[in-house]
Amino acid sequence: MPTVVTNEDHPMENAPEAEANVGTNVEDDYIDLNDQRIRVLPGASETAASFEFESEDHTLGNALRYMIMKNPQVELCGYSIPHPSEAKMNIRIQTYEGTTVYDVLEKGFEDLMSLCDIVTDKFTAERDKFNAKQKA
Amino acid sequence: MSREAYAPPTLQPQGSNYNSAGADLQAGPTTQYLCGHCNSKVQLKKGDAIRCKECGHRVLYKERTKRMVQFEAR
Amino acid sequence: MAPEPISPEEARRRKIVGVNAETVTNVTSTDFPGHYPGEDHTWSLEKFTENFSVQYHKNAPHDAVFSLIGLDASIANAFRRILIAEIPTLAIEQVFVHNNTSIVHDEVLAARLGLVPLTANRSGLNWLKYRRRIPNDDIGDAREEEQKGEGATDTNTVVLKLQIECKWAEGIKEGETDPNKLYVNSNVYAKHLVFEPQGSQSKHFPEPDGIVRPVNPDILLAKLRPGQVIDLEMFAVKGIGADHAKFSPVAPATYRLLPTIDIVSPILGNDAKKFARCFPKGVIGLEYVTEEESDVMGGELEGKAGEEKAVVRNTFKDTVSRECLRHDEFKGKVKLGRVRDHFIFSVESTGQFESDRLFLESVAILKMKCVRLKRSLANIMK
Repeated sequence: MPTVVTNEDHPMENAPEAEANVGTNVEDDYIDLNDQRIRVLPGASETAASFEFESEDHTLGNALRYMIMKNPQVELCGYSIPHPSEAKMNIRIQTYEGTTVYDVLEKGFEDLMSLCDIVTDKFTAERDKFNAKQKA
Repeated sequence: MSREAYAPPTLQPQGSNYNSAGADLQAGPTTQYLCGHCNSKVQLKKGDAIRCKECGHRVLYKERTKRMVQFEAR
Repeated sequence: MAPEPISPEEARRRKIVGVNAETVTNVTSTDFPGHYPGEDHTWSLEKFTENFSVQYHKNAPHDAVFSLIGLDASIANAFRRILIAEIPTLAIEQVFVHNNTSIVHDEVLAARLGLVPLTANRSGLNWLKYRRRIPNDDIGDAREEEQKGEGATDTNTVVLKLQIECKWAEGIKEGETDPNKLYVNSNVYAKHLVFEPQGSQSKHFPEPDGIVRPVNPDILLAKLRPGQVIDLEMFAVKGIGADHAKFSPVAPATYRLLPTIDIVSPILGNDAKKFARCFPKGVIGLEYVTEEESDVMGGELEGKAGEEKAVVRNTFKDTVSRECLRHDEFKGKVKLGRVRDHFIFSVESTGQFESDRLFLESVAILKMKCVRLKRSLANIMK
């Protein structure tokens, strides 16, 4: 079914010139930067809490779960997607005494970020080496 | 738009010989058709014989609307 | 507790996922603190840096094959999922049909157009902004869109046109039946899409190489006969694969684990030939049993000098079809498996970006997710 039938084209205007050089990084645009996308679910304590992540899925859920489980201060970490038609992902963290779930989650993010840097560096180096070898 | 507009039927009495082409002299709106056989354009008025003027084929098609139709490519 | 060094056998046992005729074994990762008493599996960037390596096998613009060695499946899978669903690309989103008298219905044609992979100047594509999808109900009301700031502008929308009419060709021979000679424009191809630069777009998508164009010019979109016309205008926008597969930059991005084949006891003679035939070419080779091997008293190869024996050459080429496990003569002589942390990625780009760039992009996006969510977390902690 046609979504709409009209007699005129939609007019398309040029964006103001000043805006043209802002967004070089496209990913910045599709999720609002200022969205608060983490929520602590009820029943949380300092050492045991469930976090609800909005518009995240297995991509981040499983990766983050792995990084958090690598932390020896963590007693348990697991993630779930409670309902497939809701774009929400829950992470459950329980820690031993002496730390908080917030610190553990933050460390998880930091570790994952540093991992990404290493992957990028090594990948780029190896690719350049490979390309150079192909050319020779 | 005007070509596509709905024209209410005129209240004038119709001629008795409905199908004879020459007798129908009332100036009604004409509608464009396409011949199903030779694709030539056929303009018909109310009461005209439904027949292509070029090849005599009796199946005529209406032209596609001239309106723009919008679709989502998904 | 001081961590005890584990034996090479134990290390190998942990590293290999077993593949049996009907089952798999040793599937889950166990490299977590507390799993093995006395061992330290705490995340350490130094250890990761030391263990992680990349091997490149192929680097064509539309097909890159490389191995990531030394990371967990959860991380490798995150990269794969991002490659498929979260890297933004440009694709046709709205089709305005002015005329279409071809036999292809408007909606079918629109769906086909959406799936045509487009490409353009890369800096231009990066300059182009993401335009939030307008819900169906709102599309009619262009005014409202503009007020929300999500209207089509030259920074977020690319206009393409397709205007084509089929005609009879001139000077056709009597009795000609070839449609390509009889008609002009009887086939509508992706190359007939024409880029219409708007505003500052001509600067970012310069002629002739930088313009927005289909990756493959020979995609058949519709067939026409004399008198039939297609006249339409298209808006292409940026989107992600999670929203619609047409935005996915890869087709496809996959990984597999490096296969292992362990020949536990020797396979000789005709059995060896048969064994080699159970695998793709180059995986299993045949070698003659040497005098030294044959001279070992009580060895499995005693007195077998000169016979052919199966040896593992290149497991990379193996498909792990498990064919060798179906034959009784190899029972107990071979063990199949896969290396748990050796991911052979295959990234086939649809052409908008090079495959290797796409992978780097996926890593960057995963990092970006962390950066943003960490900021979100900081808000809660305050």
